[in-house]
Amino acid sequence: MRILAHSYIQPNGIWLNQTCVKSTVGEENWLKAIYQNSGVEYPKFYKMDDLSKMSFLSSELLRKFIPAEIDQENELALIFANHSTSQLTDTKFHDSYAVQGNPSPSLFVYTLPNILTGELCIRNKWYGENCFYISEQFDAALFIDQIQFAFNHGNSCCLCGWVEAKTDGSHECFLFLVLLSEEKLDINTLNNLYKTYKNE
Amino acid sequence: MLNGKNNKNGWIVSNLFLSYQTLISPLGTTIPEHVAAFKARQTAIAIHPNAGFNQSTLPVAKITAITNNRYDAILKMAIEALKKQTDLATLQSDETLFIVSSTKGNMDAFDTDAFQSTRTILSEELAIAHAPLIISNACISGVLAINTAADYLKTDRFKDVFIIGIDAVSDFVLFGFQSLYALSDGPCKPFDKERTGTSLGEACGIVRLSVEPTKNAVEYLGGTSSNDANHISGPSRTGEGLYRAVNRAIKLSGIQHKDIDFISAHGTGTVFNDEMESIAFGRLEMEQVPVNSMKGYFGHTLGAAGVIETIMTIVSMQENTLFESLGYSEPGTSQAIQLITSTKEAPIHIALKTASGFGGGNAALILKKQL
Repeated sequence: MRILAHSYIQPNGIWLNQTCVKSTVGEENWLKAIYQNSGVEYPKFYKMDDLSKMSFLSSELLRKFIPAEIDQENELALIFANHSTSQLTDTKFHDSYAVQGNPSPSLFVYTLPNILTGELCIRNKWYGENCFYISEQFDAALFIDQIQFAFNHGNSCCLCGWVEAKTDGSHECFLFLVLLSEEKLDINTLNNLYKTYKNE
Repeated sequence: MLNGKNNKNGWIVSNLFLSYQTLISPLGTTIPEHVAAFKARQTAIAIHPNAGFNQSTLPVAKITAITNNRYDAILKMAIEALKKQTDLATLQSDETLFIVSSTKGNMDAFDTDAFQSTRTILSEELAIAHAPLIISNACISGVLAINTAADYLKTDRFKDVFIIGIDAVSDFVLFGFQSLYALSDGPCKPFDKERTGTSLGEACGIVRLSVEPTKNAVEYLGGTSSNDANHISGPSRTGEGLYRAVNRAIKLSGIQHKDIDFISAHGTGTVFNDEMESIAFGRLEMEQVPVNSMKGYFGHTLGAAGVIETIMTIVSMQENTLFESLGYSEPGTSQAIQLITSTKEAPIHIALKTASGFGGGNAALILKKQL
């Protein structure tokens, strides 16, 4: 398994392969700023919750690295995880009925973390395997296991992500694209890559 | 050690065995109680005044003995039952993994950590060797969890995986489904002409997937998932993801479509979901295979559904019993399928379990009875 590309988003900006693509320091609506800077036209973006928005923006950068010979429609697996599930949207939906007295269907549909993988599949016409895991922190061993399982099932590429949108404002989105290959990916390499971004 | 052979990826191919452990729902706290309830055409769905938003009346499948902290209470009941039926040495073994399937976890703690109580309860009540793996992938979580268990067993690092499927009724989810107009006024009627929505329920089921044959086990042949790539909260009109998931599961299982004797469908009772499933089964040329939805008995138990419906599928296989698709009376989908209209005996050698859910997910797994 070989990492082809990786990206990171947090409120200060978006990075691709450790190079800053757009800094959003001091921007109040930083997700919108990244979207507008991306040149991508996808009006559905505005309806998405923050988990989906971050994953969408990252995947728009990473999908360009998928080799042309890969059967993306069938052989690309999505492996995502976080700690806080859909906490931020859950809180907003809870407020819609508990505070505003009107449960909001458009918020409710985003109260599941795997909605973001659905959004990526719709955007890219990916019909492959998806799974969303909950773990206490970024768990490189979990990702490496799941990538290996996906390859065992006949997939040739995995888009993996660790995506958090918490009520305390601590957003982050680490995505990496992995290709089936003879090379080994070890836990330390993956952990270090994530930590490098965390410290930016 | 596994008596398997290595395939080209160095992956061990071997037989795996799936057995039921415990099942807690409003219908009972043991498997025999559930079998009796199914045979008596009993539903867990009851009309609850004030259950809905603005004190509206809703049909819900709730364990009435539990009055607060529902998720933790249900999980603890299931763990107690598990401890009575499986030896602690196996449960606590270093070669045993636990996988938890839940869409929402403990909603009393949604704004802090909805899954912390799950970790704490498993650690305190069972002292398991490894942190549990938690899967939260909407309504297909249970089937995904069983499929993932098979992946772990094939690594040769584990001998047993216990899969816990659980969700509890909460205002949050009830009000959300109400806001989508996805709930039926009476108990849900999956696949029926008069269906108007689903009914929500709560349950916890535990199954065990093992490399060695265990008591009450059937063979797990294979499974997979596929996304519709169509809509985040509505199913594909063509059943694309379900069609692909079942086709791939059949291929991975090394069987043919005609080998399947019974389908335990997802069948939520919403107009669009059931229509989608019928179209997918038609495209798969399975329109003649006996099929049921168990939502008429349990309600839709979300993250528990895939696990508890697999438990009752194993029972069906062992007792050679096709359970009635409760709530169904008249055909209500554009593609006719063979809904089971009364509980009856029939040989079931190979069964297919499917699930579909929000986010466009579809999952399938295939079980075979040992001869």
